[in-house]
Formats: sequence, structure tokens, C-alpha cells
Amino acid sequence: MSSRLTGDGNTAGSLLQKLCCKLTGLCDVVRRGREDDAASFAELHRKLQSQGVLKNRWAILHLLLSLCGTGQVTPRSFLGSSLFGHHLTSHVTSTPFNPPQRDLAATGSLSETVTGGTTGAGYLSHQSPATNISSGISSIRGNSSVEGLTSVPQTFVPSTLGLPQTSWRDTQSYKVDSKTSLKEETAIVPRSSRMIATQQQLKALSHRGENTSCEIPEWELLKDVIYAFQGIDGKWIKFDSTRDGYRIDYKAGIPKATRHLISKLAECGWLYNKVRIYVESRSADKAFGLVGQSFCAALHEELTEYYRLIAVLEAQLQQEQDQGISDGEGLTLRRLVVWTFDPLLRLKTLAALVDICKGKKGGALASSIFSYMQHGDPYVRGLIKHTLTLVSQPIYATLMRWVYDGELEDTYHEFFVASDPTVKNDRLWHDKYSLRKSMIPSFLSFDQAGRILLTGKSINFLRQVCQNRTPIKDRESAMALNMKDAESMLVQDLETSFQKHMDAVYSQTSLHLLEVLHTQYKFMDHLKAMRRYLLLGQGDFIRHLMDLLEEDLAKPATNLYLHNLNGILETAIRATNAQYDDADILKRLDVRLLEVSPGDTGWDVFSLDYHVDGPIRTVFTPECMIMYLRVFNFLWRAKRMEYILALIWKNQISHARWLKSIPELSGVLHQCHLLGCEMVHFIQQVQYYINFEVLECSWDELLRKVREARDLDHIIAAHQVFLDMILCRCLLDEKSRDILTQLRTIFDLIIQFESAQDKFYQAANEELEVRRRYEQIRQKRTNQGEWAVTDAEEQEEKERITTFLRNIIPSTRAQMTVLAQSYNDMVQRFLIMVAAHPDVSLGFLSFRLDFNQHYKVKEPNMRSPLMSLQQRMHHV
Amino acid sequence: MPREIITLQLGQCGNQIGMEFWKQLCLEHGISPEGILEEFATEGTDRKDVFFYQADDEHYIPRSVLLDLEPRVINSIMNSPYANLYNPENIYLSKHGGGAGNNWASGYSQAERLYDEIFDIIDREADGSDSLEGFVICHSIAGGTGSGMGSYILERLNDRFPKKLIQTYSVFPNVDEISDVVVQPYNSLLTLTRLTQNADCVVVLDNTALNRIAADRLHIETPTFAQVNQLVSTVMSTSTTTLRYPGYMNNDLIGLIASLIPTPRLHFLMTGYTPLTTDSQVANVRKTTVLDVMRRLLQPKNMMVSTPVHRQANHCYISILNIIQGEVDPTQVHKSLQRIRERKLAQFIPWGPASIQVALSRKSPYVQTSHRVSGLMLANHTSISHLFERILRQYDKLRKREAFMDQFKKENIFRENLDEFDNCRETVQHLVDEYQAATRRDYLSWGTQQAPSADRI
Repeated sequence: MSSRLTGDGNTAGSLLQKLCCKLTGLCDVVRRGREDDAASFAELHRKLQSQGVLKNRWAILHLLLSLCGTGQVTPRSFLGSSLFGHHLTSHVTSTPFNPPQRDLAATGSLSETVTGGTTGAGYLSHQSPATNISSGISSIRGNSSVEGLTSVPQTFVPSTLGLPQTSWRDTQSYKVDSKTSLKEETAIVPRSSRMIATQQQLKALSHRGENTSCEIPEWELLKDVIYAFQGIDGKWIKFDSTRDGYRIDYKAGIPKATRHLISKLAECGWLYNKVRIYVESRSADKAFGLVGQSFCAALHEELTEYYRLIAVLEAQLQQEQDQGISDGEGLTLRRLVVWTFDPLLRLKTLAALVDICKGKKGGALASSIFSYMQHGDPYVRGLIKHTLTLVSQPIYATLMRWVYDGELEDTYHEFFVASDPTVKNDRLWHDKYSLRKSMIPSFLSFDQAGRILLTGKSINFLRQVCQNRTPIKDRESAMALNMKDAESMLVQDLETSFQKHMDAVYSQTSLHLLEVLHTQYKFMDHLKAMRRYLLLGQGDFIRHLMDLLEEDLAKPATNLYLHNLNGILETAIRATNAQYDDADILKRLDVRLLEVSPGDTGWDVFSLDYHVDGPIRTVFTPECMIMYLRVFNFLWRAKRMEYILALIWKNQISHARWLKSIPELSGVLHQCHLLGCEMVHFIQQVQYYINFEVLECSWDELLRKVREARDLDHIIAAHQVFLDMILCRCLLDEKSRDILTQLRTIFDLIIQFESAQDKFYQAANEELEVRRRYEQIRQKRTNQGEWAVTDAEEQEEKERITTFLRNIIPSTRAQMTVLAQSYNDMVQRFLIMVAAHPDVSLGFLSFRLDFNQHYKVKEPNMRSPLMSLQQRMHHV
Repeated sequence: MPREIITLQLGQCGNQIGMEFWKQLCLEHGISPEGILEEFATEGTDRKDVFFYQADDEHYIPRSVLLDLEPRVINSIMNSPYANLYNPENIYLSKHGGGAGNNWASGYSQAERLYDEIFDIIDREADGSDSLEGFVICHSIAGGTGSGMGSYILERLNDRFPKKLIQTYSVFPNVDEISDVVVQPYNSLLTLTRLTQNADCVVVLDNTALNRIAADRLHIETPTFAQVNQLVSTVMSTSTTTLRYPGYMNNDLIGLIASLIPTPRLHFLMTGYTPLTTDSQVANVRKTTVLDVMRRLLQPKNMMVSTPVHRQANHCYISILNIIQGEVDPTQVHKSLQRIRERKLAQFIPWGPASIQVALSRKSPYVQTSHRVSGLMLANHTSISHLFERILRQYDKLRKREAFMDQFKKENIFRENLDEFDNCRETVQHLVDEYQAATRRDYLSWGTQQAPSADRI
């Protein structure tokens, strides 16, 4: 420490001490909350003390001390400014960001974009302890100590006044230059900032002395300005609605520079008015909703701070006026500009928010505010975050209610989950709740929103449809989890606690729902029942049912009686393994007759049905059940063909044995056998295809998906895919209609073949009977010792036989040949159609049907589509 | 329970393999040797009622009729733990107990005399079922009882139950060893004729191949009857799994065999099974896939019929059914079929569509096997005619010398003349011809050309 004494008797050390006291005295309020500032101050203090190179230490310190004094000429004014500072800081602390950053950092960042690094000092200024004093003084003092931070204070003196001015000028010129574009881009500077300042005017303004030369005393103008701050017309400064801005009475004797200064200040008033009007108009609007009200409240809070500022300014002005002090050391327009810089920025931001939030409410409003969260200025960002936190509080509260209790308290339709009260329980899962896309706050991803919807929906589903109120496992612990407030929603890019929490709640709820569905409502049992009964999986039951129904179903559809059929169903159940099924499942099994069109037989309209109710109906919707019935109809027809062919085959086997005695028929029989075996092969292969490629594979897939499902939607989707796939592969979809028709034609041919063959067998059997009787007669006569048969009789019999053979053989042969030919054509065409079908899975069918390439060899034309098909299948 | 099947076990061989078959079924359905459902098996979704019925006291009783003309095998059954399984009324032992003396004619004639008693049992059993699907007959074609009595019962079943299916598991004699039954060729020919004319489906169990498989594949130097019969029971039980474990397809016998048998006479099926193990043997540890199983099933060494496959290259499959059990991914089936076609592993008939049918069947949860996947093949292959040709050749040798005819002439059927032999030879020859015709494209017009020559009645 220096020991040199000065004329004033002050050592450099004591001067420093004084200076420090001043500074600490001023900023103790600030320091209370800002240890790091205090620390940096201590650092500066230490530097200043230990600075060896400082030549005129005393002089510098003295200068600093006296500069200290310039802010507060009188103790009262000091009190005032400290009071002001106090208010400002407390006002500032409503945002979590560093208050020192606020005054010039904003300017700096703005100007930096234009002037490059020239005003880097503005950035650094926040590290200065002096800036903590107040926004008003700090802009000057801050710049002074900036140098102290990095270099020797020699540069300090000349820059004292110059630096802020240049930075101001830069800022302002920037604003002038890019006023419009800036407005477009960030809307921070509202239209009203009518700063038509020129460099000259600014230069003229930079001399304080000019203030005194105006005709109207500054305090009067100040008073007007403060009025304007409150949106009240003053003596000179009045609101001009035609220009939508404040206007200074042009007659008043006010220098241009001052006018400019005033219009700059009046911007505050304009912004204030805008915000206030919004708040006032909205607060009264009940339909504006909770989010809107929170927004208003947040705005109101800001305005209150603003009122405080005005009160302070007014008090100070009043004080000065009362004491008649106007020696240039008190409140000035210039100072006002500096002091209101910060509030102006806040007001601008708020006004911008008000602008974009116009006409919006709820989540959309929050989204709009959130879009400002990316603002480059941390100060503005802080303000927006603070506002947004308040605004999203109601959303958060609703969300928590929804996610935990499934309750939707959303009188004003602000939440992104919408509920339709008209929807009944059976459609609750599908239709009752939906996402209101416009209301999804943009800080939540669409995925998250969907999952939140699912979570609450699951709870409602459990309560209302499943009648399940058992507590969800781990739910309590999840609720007790240290949940932060709405803020956690907003900072998802920084931390994942909200996401994790929502995921946890989602999976717990969904899994609980699935568990209830599986255990209490036996979802898997019903699914398996569908497969066993509607998809013919219970083969023995289906076979027996068809045996029993055969007679009834051959009748015209109009002659069918449901109660008869139900009786048969009962019999079939009791006679087969179906009897071991759960009674609840068997109770649901029922017969249904489809709509009868003229000419239909029982086969066309018969269908099994399965009644579903309660929660499982959500998966097995009526639409799904119709799909099941369509598949049943197809499978039932295919099954019937299989049984008809089994019957045909059985007839062939027995008749081959019986008709051995009419060897002439063996050719016809062989023809029948061959056509029959071709048909058997076809139907068997179709059945194997249905069994493996359609049912088994899709079923495997479904089971896997159900096992892995994490919520009910997954199951519903998997089930839908399952049905769609079956429908498509069973040729029941739109694009396969022709192929299906072709297949039906083949089925019809099989039935034709059956009846043709039966007719032939009947004729042959009658012939056998006639021959047997003839033989009996002959035998009887021989036994009676008579001539067995007369020549005439024998001749007659021979002729009869010849006639029979001549009648039956060529006609049957011709009929069989025609049948075989058209059957072959049909199959060929079917194969070509299947090969041309876009769905690759149908390739499996044609692959099976023509495994030994019998048809390909027979019909060279088929070679090309089948070849391409095989090539296609190689890629699969 | 509809679609019941009644099993007839005829003669020494028939009763032996029948017993093994019931043992296996009891194991698979969790039924104790006394016919009581084991506690672990009450939750089953299997169909026990096809082969068993439930007595009033809940006992499961096989729908089985045991017939023999000599007591040895049936007595051994009655002394086994399974003695109480069968309905004692269904066991018929000829009173004089002298057997058929390995003579077809003796067996046939005795059966004729015992007709009423035998068919009392069969009728009662048939009446006891809701809708009988058919009969399964286990017998050998070489001895006396199984062949002679079997032939007679086959004929009568046709008359009595014209609409019921008759499937037989027929054991063909081992040609590798000198048989102690000298008239074996006669017996075989006469039985084969009935199998051709009166059975709907014959599963050929060739003792030659079974012994060879036991020796080569199972490394048993001199396989015992029990070991060979275990092979047979495996084949029998597996071929009925789709009936006993209902699924989407193949739930009845008729559906199962209709697709295998295109024309009535070509109804002789060969079987193949893989992987083969006996109890004593530990399976080699290998991951079996559907393709592995299907490929191995097509290999001649796994076939339970001994035919010189490569001698005549144009022999071909008429149809194939693979019953695959175990953990099978259904998507593998198509891939395996594709591979088999690409590699041309199976040659099919040239005159009609044919393919490998694959049935996936459930496996009994109560029987543990070391294999993930196992498979049975039922195939209709034209080369089975070699077996019949062999029988014809052996018959011709004997017949030329009129050897051992005296025993036959003692019985009614041959008392007047030996036309029966000639007719049978013709029938079997006709069968051989038809199988050979089935290898050619012109099989389509086969019946027409043959019609005049078939005129023999």
C-alpha cells in the first residue's frame, strides 16, 4: 500500500477504503443476493490495491471517489437512487438471470451485430461491481471499470463519457437503420419507437448544457414523460391516436434533440398502454381460460414492477421539485433514458408477446410464448421463461390431474386432450378422447402428447369400462417422486426428468391396463376363441358341426330357423373337444344368419358368431367382428369344399370296389378319379396355404406383438394388422375380387362334379341292382330245377346291358371331359391371376398349387408369369 | 365323440405292434397303464376319444379288439402292466389255441368259422361309437393268423361297413433273413390281394427296412422285436397325431388319406421317420430345423420300405404328407418347400399336380424328447411296386414247384381248385402294372386301355 500523504491528508489507502465503502454501501442490497458479484468486487479491490504499475494511484482513486459522488449529490438523492436501484434489482430478481447483464449487454448484443466488436466493453461491463448499483448510473460507471478489469486505468478517463455515448449512438443508428427489419424479425422494437434521430441530433444531445437552454423546464417535461409512462396525457406530451403514438406539442419550445429524447422515452408509455389494454380486456373475459388468465397475471406482475419504477421516479421528481434542486445533478431526461432502458426492453418483450398471443388461448398461447424461448438474449429469454412458467402452470396442473387421475378439468378447452361426452363406454377408447392438435404446447413433442393422452385414457378406460379401481402398482411412488413444477416441461432439451417421469407414468398405467385386460377380462382366451371358432382352429368341432348341419344348410336360406341351428351348435359343442372350453366362452358362441338374397342356400348365409362385450369390445370392435365373419364365411366355404371332396373320394373308393363287376365302366371311373384327385390336390393346397401362410404366420406375428405390447393401442393395432393381413391373403380385399370370383367358380365346378359323379354312381348302382335281381331270379329258377333263363330273357338282358352301357358311358365320359376341361381352364386362369397379383404372399399359393409344375408344363403361356413370380419369390 | 377309430389287432405280430401303439398313446395322453388319467394330464386339449372311450368309472379304454388264434402274445399282454387297460370282452382267443400254423388258408378258414363271435365284438364296439370313421388293422402279411384271418375280416368289414374306412398297418416280411415260414410267399400274395381289394389305405411296414434302420441308423446289431416294434409304434402314433390334436386341418382320417391316394388302388403308403432314436440312445446334439427334417425324410435310408430306389429312375412320388411336430416356425415351411423344389429333391408324377403337404402337429406335452423337431413322412411312391414284384417272384418260384400246396388244399377255399392263387396273382400283377403306369404321362388314359383285359369276373 502506498504511504504517501496528500494535501488532503488522505492516503491512497484510505481513499481506496472510502471508495470501497461507497461501493459496498451502494451495492450491499445487490451483494446480499449475489455472492459472485461480491467476489468479483473483492478481486477488483485486490487488483487495485496491488497494482504496482499504477503511478498516480492517489489521483485515480480520488477521481474514482469523486465520480462516485456524482451519482448522489445529496444524501437524499443517493437515497432515492438506491431506493430506485433496490426496486430495480428486486424487480430484476423476478427473473433468474444475472441482473448486471441486463443494461448494456442487450445494447451490446444488439450493436455488436452491426458494429462488430467495437462495443465489447458493453458486454464486459456486467462483471463490474459498480454496475450493480443501479441501471441508471451503471452505464457510465460500468464502462469505467471495464478497463480496470483488463488493463490499466489510464484509458479510463477519456473513455468515461465517450464510450457509452458511442455505444448509444451505435445502438440507435442501428435501430434507425434496421428498424423495419428488426420489427419483422423479432418484434422486439415495436412500431411506435419513432426514433427518427439523426447523428447530428444525437451529437447535439450529448452536451448536457443544452438542456438548460430550453424554454420549458426539464422537470416539467420530466413530469410529462412520467405521465406518458403511465399512459396519461401530459401538458405537452399527448397521445395521438391518428398516428398511434405520443406526440410532443409542436408549439412547445423544445429543442429538437430533447423532442427526440422524449419520443424515445414515450415508447415506454406506448408499450405500457398496449400491454395494459390487453390485460384489462382479457382479465374480464371469463372464456379466456386459465392459461390466458395466467398470462394476464404474469403481465400484471410485470406491470406492477413497472408501476413501482414509476412511483420511484415520481417520488424523486417530487422531491427534487419540493427542494427546488435542479442543478443538473438530479433527474434528467437523459438519465431517464438510461434508467428506463431496462424496463423498456421488458415492456417491448411483453408487448411482442401480447402481439403474438392475440386471439390465442390455452396450449396455443403457451406455444406462442415458447417460440420466443430461443431468443438469443439471455435476459429476454429469462423473462420469457419466467412468463412461460407462469403461463404453463395451469396446463401442467391439468396435465397432472389427467395423467394421475384421468380427470379432465378443462372448462375452456385449453388442454390438448379433448373429451367428447356424448361417446358411450364401448367406444370410449376409440372416440371419446382425442388430441386437440392446436393446443399441444410446442414444448411437448407430438409423441409425448400422444402418450399423455394414452395415459389418462387408460385410467378412464380402467375406471369406466373395466370397472377396475385397484390402485396401479408403483403409482404412489411415482406420484411422490420429486416433481418440479411446470418448468420441467419447458427445459426438456436440458434435462429429461419430465420425459422420464411421463414415460414412467405412461408405462405403469398402460401395463396395469394390459394386466387387467389379460387377467380380469381374459383377453388372450377370447383371442384364442376367435381363432378356434371363427377361424376354424378347433378342427374337430368344425368338422362335426358341418356334418350335423349338412342337411339343414342344403335347404334354401329362408327355410332356416335359428333355434334349430342353435340346437345343432350345442350338440356339436357337447360332442367335441369344444366342450372343455371355458363356459363363458362357449356362452358367447352363437349362430348368425347373414342377409338372405334370393336363391341363397343355407351354406351362403350360415355363420358362427362370437359375442363380445365390455373392455374386450374395444379390441374386438363391431368392425373387427364383421371382418371375422367375412373370413369365417370364406374359410367355411373352403372347408366345405374339403369335405365335399372327402365325400367324393370316399364314394370313389367304395364304388371302385362295387363297380368292379361292370368292367366297362373302369375307364369312366378312372376319369372321375383323376379329376377328383386334381380337385383334392387343389383344395388341399388352398387349405394348406390358408393354414400356414394366412393363419399360422399371421397368428404367430400377432402373438408376438401382443406379448410385446406396451399399451392397449399396440394390441389394437396388432389385431387390426392381423385381420387385414388375413383378409387380404384370403382374397377378401378389394383388389382380389376377380381372383376370389375365379376361386368361387372353381368351387362351383367341384359341386358340379360331385353331382355329376353322384348321378353316374346312382345309375351304375341301379344297374348293379337290376343285374343282382336278374341273377337272383336265375339262381331261384336253377334251385327250383327249372331252366335258369330262357334265350329270349337272356337276349333281353344282354340288350338291356348294351343299351345301358351305350347310354351311360359316352355321356358320362363326355360330361367328365367337359368338366375336366373347364376345371383345368379355370385353374390355369386362376394361377395366372394369382401370379399377376401384386401381393407377394399370394405367390406362396401358386407355388403350392403348382409345386411339381404340372400346370406350367401343360400351359406354356403360363410360363412367363410363373417365371417372373418365381424370380420375385427368390427375392423374398 | 364323432369320428372314432376302432383298432383291430390280429395275430402275433398285430398284437405286438398294437400293444406298443397303445403304450405310446397312453404315454402321450397321460393315461396310466390302468386306463386312469394321470393327475398332470387333466388340462389337456387333446382328443382322447378318437381312440379311447370312457367307461362308467372314468377309465379310459382303448377302442381296440385283440384277436389271435394262439395265446402266447395275448397272454404276455395280460401279464403286462397294461393288462387292465383293455376291455376284456374285446379280447378273443381261439378256444383250441392251436394257431393257424403260419398257414393263410387255416387262418382264413378259422376266421370264417369264428365269424359270429368276432363280429359280435366288432359290432358292439362299432355301436359304442357316435359316428365311426373307420377301422385300423394291425397285422403281418406273412404268418397265418394276421394274414389269413386278416384277409377274411377285411372282406367281411367291406360287406358289413361299406361306408367305413379301412386302414391297415401291414408288416411285410423281412427278405434279408431266411424265414422259418416256408409258405410266406403264398401267405403274402393272398393277403396282398385283400389289401388291394378290400382296404382303403395300407401303411406298409417293411420288416426288411425296419431291421436295416435298426441296424444302420440305431446301431443295434441284432434288433429285437421290441425295438423294431417301437419304431412301428412311433410311426403309428405320429400318423394319428393330427386326429388326436385337432387343428385347422387333417382332423379326420379321410381327409388325411384322401389327398394321399389319388386313385383307389394306389393306396399303399410308405413311411419315413426322423430323427430316429431308441430309449437307450442319446440323440446327437444338433439343431434340427424344418428343412433338415423334410430333407432327411426324402432320403431313402430313412424310409421304412426297402426298395431299390435308383434302379428305375422314373419312379416317382404320387403324393407326400409330412407330419412335423415340435417347435416349428410356420414361416419356415414355405422356405423349406422352396428349397426342396429348387434342389429337385423329390420327383413327382408327370400326369397331375402333386406336392409335399406339410402338417404341423402338436406334440404331447407329457413325452419328453431330445429333438426340437421331428417328422413323419407318409408317401405314396410308385417304387413300392418293387415290394409286390418281389412277392410275385417268390410266389412264382414256389408255385412252379407246386410246393407246400397240401396244407392249403386242406382248407375249403382251395379244396376244389387253386384258382384263388391265380386270381390273386393277377390282381397283384395288375397292381404292379398300375403303379408302373403311374410313372408315365399316359396314366391318364390307363383305365381305358386296360378295360377289356380287366374283364375277368
